[in-house]
Amino acid sequence: MLVLRDLSKRFGDRVAVDGLSLDVGPGEVVGLLGPNGAGKTTTIHMAVGLLAPDRGEVRIGDRGSPRRPEARRLLGVAPQALALYDALTPAENLAFFGRVQGLSGPALSRRVDWALDFAALSDRRRDRTGDLSGGMKRRLNLAAALVHDPEVVLLDEPTVGVDPQSRNAILERVAALRAAGRAVVYTTHYMDEAARVCDRVAIVDHGTVLASGTVAELVAAHGGEPTLVVVREGVERRLATPDPAAALARILADGRVDDFRVERADLEAVFLSLTGRRLRDP
Amino acid sequence: MNPSRIPAILAIAAKDLRLLSRSRSTLFFALGWPVLMALFFGYVFGGGGEKGRIPVAVVDEDGTPESARLLARLSGTAGLEISPATREEATALVRKGKRSAAVIVPAGYGEAADRVFHGEPRRLVLEVDPARAAEGAMLEGILTGAAMQGMQELVTDPERGRAMIGRSLADLESAPPSEGRDSTQRLLGELRAWLDRPAPSGGEDAARPAWKPLEIERREVRREKAGPRSAFDFTFPQGILWGVIGSALGFSLSLVTERTRGTLLRLETAPLSRLDVLAGKALACFAAILAVEALLLSLGVAAFGIRPASWILLAAAAVALAACFVGIMMAVAVIARTEQAAGGLGWAILMPLAMIGGGMIPLFVMPSWMQAASHVSPVKWGILALEGATWRGFTAAEMAPALGVLLGVGLLGMAFGIRRFRGLEG
Repeated sequence: MLVLRDLSKRFGDRVAVDGLSLDVGPGEVVGLLGPNGAGKTTTIHMAVGLLAPDRGEVRIGDRGSPRRPEARRLLGVAPQALALYDALTPAENLAFFGRVQGLSGPALSRRVDWALDFAALSDRRRDRTGDLSGGMKRRLNLAAALVHDPEVVLLDEPTVGVDPQSRNAILERVAALRAAGRAVVYTTHYMDEAARVCDRVAIVDHGTVLASGTVAELVAAHGGEPTLVVVREGVERRLATPDPAAALARILADGRVDDFRVERADLEAVFLSLTGRRLRDP
Repeated sequence: MNPSRIPAILAIAAKDLRLLSRSRSTLFFALGWPVLMALFFGYVFGGGGEKGRIPVAVVDEDGTPESARLLARLSGTAGLEISPATREEATALVRKGKRSAAVIVPAGYGEAADRVFHGEPRRLVLEVDPARAAEGAMLEGILTGAAMQGMQELVTDPERGRAMIGRSLADLESAPPSEGRDSTQRLLGELRAWLDRPAPSGGEDAARPAWKPLEIERREVRREKAGPRSAFDFTFPQGILWGVIGSALGFSLSLVTERTRGTLLRLETAPLSRLDVLAGKALACFAAILAVEALLLSLGVAAFGIRPASWILLAAAAVALAACFVGIMMAVAVIARTEQAAGGLGWAILMPLAMIGGGMIPLFVMPSWMQAASHVSPVKWGILALEGATWRGFTAAEMAPALGVLLGVGLLGMAFGIRRFRGLEG
């Protein structure tokens, strides 16, 4: 549904995106994982037609460039900022964004009701948006991107600044979008979110995709072997091995151990391995 | 523009008007502040129906029917606001500026009124602030007129006239002989004979027409182009301009807020162009300004005596003014990058233009060089257009320059705004 081919974008001397390619199919959630300034938002802006790439191509389904109105109708975007009108109610916000997408009449009413239900804000539909909690606003921000039922959904850091409960609620809704067959691009710098919700992850730094694949593939390819940690007579011993169970069996054959655990690589380790630095610098 | 986008543009305009209706600060600057300005300066410049009335304290120390008649005549004089007081109170009121003058009727005024042709003349005391020389001179004239009216009544009322002549002749009999006494006695004798002459049938009043020292025939000849009927005629156009400025700046701010809050990004990812977004906002701004103009003009017409000379020209002025400030709104909105910058820049540009354009002080009280400088201000042309369609009574040809300037400024602002707004696109 969404194809990014060899996208590049410079702002003056600074290279924001450099030869980035990505395919997202229906019912697939693809994560763009990278630190702040990695080029994720610039990529999103090119993907939705807000920025023209210096090089490369963006295609939305069979409708071509996102700069064409007929292609934009397939897009739903939840910006990183809470792009809502505080003085309007949630229902008014959703109705407005639905109208500018071309909805009207009973179809608009039905979609507004659906979006309010999706955001779990039906009981707050007549409150001022400015009076909602941060988590509610985040859910409404997401619902506003979906009110016109787009095929391709781009979510730019959709959980920034929300509490764990609201984050969980948002991740559940992203999973629901996948189940509904939507193609979802999900940018984040939270590894646990990417691991939980994304079918595939593209690790981005300095505007380039360093690696992409499923989390398991990435860990297997770039995270290194699991580490078996064994404690015997108060002494901790670490052993990198592709088969921790076999290694533990061999150690137990030599006598009993006080404790043991297996440390597996995660996306943080993958990022460290690929860039030589942590995803979130202190 | 693609007609299929019109519903979306209308949706943007409706949303903006809804947001405007929920913004207390914008509403205040669009409606509350202009009304305050119009009323405040209207009353400062003498509006409210009290125009031309001179407050005067009167003191009656004589207490005779003649002094009472004088005060009654003063009370009935248009242009005077009479209030009785003691001499000390009256002097204090003038000194404190609460009354323009005090008229004191000293003891002996009524007695002197009976001795019109001899003895000491009737005497009144007029206390007046020297800074109000014009009002003092006007009051002297009014008092002289009131005294002459008393004389007129003596001559035209036979009973009072005969009594006065009788008393005067008795006084003269007891006075030492002189040439003046003899001639006065002869004059009074002739006057008594004139009063005693037989009246024809129909009664004395019918036979003897009222005597007047001077009859003034007053005819009203209005200037071809009437001046303002009241101060509100020029303070309401000023107030409307402030409302228009407040509305336009509110929309400038809202466009910047769309950019900083990210809602513009969301709109741009819809099947709309930036021009569509700008068109929706301009439409809302245009409608809001027209509504502000209509509300303030309705208030002025209903409660403050504003009378449009031509409704058609007034509508043309309102539309041109709205177009002008839609353009200014768009120019300010695309220059500023933050809400603070939009607010600061907007007021920094428009406040001086409003001041030299007559938005605070009417142009006609400004020095000539400042009136010449005001030509650069669209505020001046806006006020002129509104005044031209109301109390100035302009013809269409006379309105054309003001309307042309307003539309020209509006188109320039729109062109600049569209060009720059498109340029902001990546």
